[in-house]
Amino acid sequence: MNINKSNPLLLHPLNKWMKKKKWSWFPHQIETFHYVRTGSDVVVFAPTGAGKTLTGFINPIDDLIKLKKFKGLHTLYISPLKSLANDIVRNLEKPIKELDLNISFQVRTGDTTPYKKQKQKQKPPNILITTPESLALLNSYENAKEFFHNLKYIIIDEIHTFLDNKRADLLSLNIERLQTFSTNLQRIGLSATLKNKQDAKKWLCRKKPKIVSYENSVLPKIKILESKERIPWSGHMATYSINEIYKEIMKSKLTIIFVNTRAQAEYMFKNLWLINKKKLKIAVHHGSLEKNLRLKVENNLSKGLVDCVVATSSLELGLDYGDVEKIIQVGAPKGINRLLQRVGRSNHNLNIPSKAILVPTNRFEFIEAKAAIEEIKKNKLDKIDLKEGSFDVVAQHIFATACAGQFNINDLYKEIIKAYPYKKLKLNDFKQLINLIQDGGYVLKNYDQFKRIFQLRENKNIYKLVNKRETRKYRMNVGTIIENPMLKIKLGTKTLGNIEEVFIQNLSQGDSFIFAGQVLEFQSMKNNLVQVKRSKSLISKIPSYSGGRMPLSTNLANSVRALLAKSNMWDLYPEQITQWLKRQKNISKIPKKDEYLVEQFPRKKNFYTVIYTFAGWHANQTLGFLLLRGFKEFNYKPLGFVANDYAIVLWSLREAKEIKTILNLGLLDKHLDNYLEETSIVKRLFRDNAIISCLIERRLPGMEKTGKQVLFSSDLIYTVLKKNEPDHILLKSSYEDAKKNMIDYDRLREILKKIDKKIILKKLTSISPLAVPIILEINRENLSKKETDEYILEDLENEILKEANVLSIN
Amino acid sequence: MFYQLINFGNEEFHAYPDKSLYWKRLNTLIVSDLHIGKSISYAKNKQFLPPYDTKEILNKIFVSLDKIKPSNLIIVGDLLHDVFSTLSLKDQDHKNLSQYMKNTDFIWIKGNHDENIQIEGFKNLTNYKIDKFLFTHIPIKTSLFQICGHYHPKVKISHRGKTIFKTCFVHNEKIFILPSFGILTGGLDIHSKQISDVLGKNNMSIYPVGQDKVYKL
Repeated sequence: MNINKSNPLLLHPLNKWMKKKKWSWFPHQIETFHYVRTGSDVVVFAPTGAGKTLTGFINPIDDLIKLKKFKGLHTLYISPLKSLANDIVRNLEKPIKELDLNISFQVRTGDTTPYKKQKQKQKPPNILITTPESLALLNSYENAKEFFHNLKYIIIDEIHTFLDNKRADLLSLNIERLQTFSTNLQRIGLSATLKNKQDAKKWLCRKKPKIVSYENSVLPKIKILESKERIPWSGHMATYSINEIYKEIMKSKLTIIFVNTRAQAEYMFKNLWLINKKKLKIAVHHGSLEKNLRLKVENNLSKGLVDCVVATSSLELGLDYGDVEKIIQVGAPKGINRLLQRVGRSNHNLNIPSKAILVPTNRFEFIEAKAAIEEIKKNKLDKIDLKEGSFDVVAQHIFATACAGQFNINDLYKEIIKAYPYKKLKLNDFKQLINLIQDGGYVLKNYDQFKRIFQLRENKNIYKLVNKRETRKYRMNVGTIIENPMLKIKLGTKTLGNIEEVFIQNLSQGDSFIFAGQVLEFQSMKNNLVQVKRSKSLISKIPSYSGGRMPLSTNLANSVRALLAKSNMWDLYPEQITQWLKRQKNISKIPKKDEYLVEQFPRKKNFYTVIYTFAGWHANQTLGFLLLRGFKEFNYKPLGFVANDYAIVLWSLREAKEIKTILNLGLLDKHLDNYLEETSIVKRLFRDNAIISCLIERRLPGMEKTGKQVLFSSDLIYTVLKKNEPDHILLKSSYEDAKKNMIDYDRLREILKKIDKKIILKKLTSISPLAVPIILEINRENLSKKETDEYILEDLENEILKEANVLSIN
Repeated sequence: MFYQLINFGNEEFHAYPDKSLYWKRLNTLIVSDLHIGKSISYAKNKQFLPPYDTKEILNKIFVSLDKIKPSNLIIVGDLLHDVFSTLSLKDQDHKNLSQYMKNTDFIWIKGNHDENIQIEGFKNLTNYKIDKFLFTHIPIKTSLFQICGHYHPKVKISHRGKTIFKTCFVHNEKIFILPSFGILTGGLDIHSKQISDVLGKNNMSIYPVGQDKVYKL
């Protein structure tokens, strides 16, 4: 459309306010207004600072003013974070109050008081701002239909965060439910810039789908930290550059240092504190810290009361911290979208470029950082892969539906397959999920008298909840985010945050560790509280947090390969990197963009095979295991392997001569099941599946289960089920989840399909320069949990026997 | 299957990785805390665990009886999880049990879970005394050596930077606690107050149960 001809927004109720602020409407706001007004579902892509939130509200506010004193709920706004929801309310308040518009709006999240929630249900506001979980809860009430039947708009904020996970599945099902309640409902999605905009459109839009896009012409200024120090071969802690990082902090008014893990955050914070001679105000922020501590840091950040915050992805989304001048990314960027999101945290002004410095913590990361900068210059983004919806979320949704009243399974199935992630859901799988909610869905029918939902005798298609008490259980278990078992840390009576139970189990009384930027001494564990005191110890552990390890994106990986092969660029790199690559070229080879370099060399009596796949950590980990199996078959007597984002190294007693024969698609087909079986991947996902599908409960009123107990019983259930009913729907669901999320199945498949023609095999007499980083990562055993347990027991027993001078048992 | 030799009250016992204990001199097999029908008991609260625990527990017992062929089988309490548990015993299970009882005397001690439950053809006792040994679900005040269950002992082992939890046999000079023979049963840390109140803190002999072997710490 030609936006210059006429701007319909000049007649919009908010125009007066915009004028007063001396703001003008963005083209994408005009375009969105037009499309929505003419009945389209729209996804808007725009960078931060381009009035995205307002864009979502333009049509609802216009409509509400025209309708005059509309009673009841008109617009629903879905935010990915509770804190963002509160921020939205504050932003909406300004124009509505200043113009004295007759529009009511409220927030509803897990933090809203029961009293307020009750009042909202009796007298709903025109605009309700909420989260996917709160929406699911609202849909599970008996009067949900009346509550939503006049709903006109649903706005999904930061929709790019909702495209590829179980939360997205849950949200998609609940949007379809709203559409059933209110056929006039229109959908508006707000997103950061994406590569595959069409996918986001497919996910959300049904009516005359439209994409509105606004690209920022001002590119961020990103550079790599110029360090005089030696960049380490391996490692992830950036200790080498700490002084230079400190200098960068001093140069800017306000800096956010992003790191990739919570452990890195604590470590970086500790190291900065040790050299903090200028007494800069430095804070740390990550997801395990107590809410109050986090809020304090966020507050200080927005008021400009700190000089620097060390943060994980916990500060990636949402809130506008106007005064942040510089972003420092320590460690690999891993993906373009993620780096852009982080870089965008500085300077929320469209016309001024964001400033960022990348600090690679090892040599491969230097290449990765360089590649990321190139990609951003070319405006090339990562693709977000839409995934098929998970079964467990459907099960939870069935339970929620039953809580809202009796339902017809055919109608429910038809509604579910309208949701994009469930387009391909088979009727048979759906029925199994109905049975799962009914009585666990086992082949052995032992529970006929204990069903949770039952078929009506007069109509077998209609199911009903057995009693009201069950609704309470659903409400305690809603949602798709399952945390690892965590324990609260108490310093005196003050709660500092949550720490993984596994970490605490490895501590003894008196051990010290770093948390929330303080050195703490472990005193005791009582009633699931970890009591600590301050410590002056210099030796301390840093809690590790499992999960959340992001693999290198395919897009960035390709770019790293391309860059590595461009030898004419090398001279622009720091001397040490240039030398490293040149030596590699002389001794072995630098693989071309589409080649797979395989190096083999003897070292310390063993034979090493290094394969440079650049496939990301998940895929490489999987491939490593499969190769281990392959090596065993060829009798190479493999001893172990290590994988990182770029490569895999295996070592064996015999030389793997037939590596070219082993490395192909057959490897995946032959050994994958075995892999999933032997590692605890599926077992761990089974726990999430069992909780999300409400087979086991997270917690019950008056019977707080600790994380440990849930984990324990789900392991037992998994073992019993696997043995007796290997085709059970929850096992299938866990297996699918593993393929989708944990092992990068599709990515690995793609690589193995074409790898055999592109292998470059180099037989070397000793280790190559490119192989040094991964060889340095070899430090752990690669045994399954079962084997590890036996190994520990065996070893401990032997030690004790030796001590007691007893030769053997039995 | 390897067993671990345990000397308790000057008698020779064998601890098996299937969590049964064998008393050599009297050719007696001892098990505890089977919690048969735990799944069905959870199902009445709409927690639908896989309903295969009863079948698996009975199979385990039968395998053990076939192999060892003991004259007596002593169950030291909590054979059944609760009154609903009998629902999970099918006719065939009853038949199989009667078959085994022809060659082996079944002695069923009452536990806190099954003290008020009856099964046809089964007699249950509060406790049972042989020589200087008393079989009882929960230890009592006595000068006899006691063999008990109830606590489902587990031991936390930290070694070379790794921590694992293992089901275990544990005893002090006078009291022996068996692990749970059940399938869906949890466990209690032997250093918890409940167990150290019974065994004391320092004189425990601990035998963690591994995959195919019982270890000694």
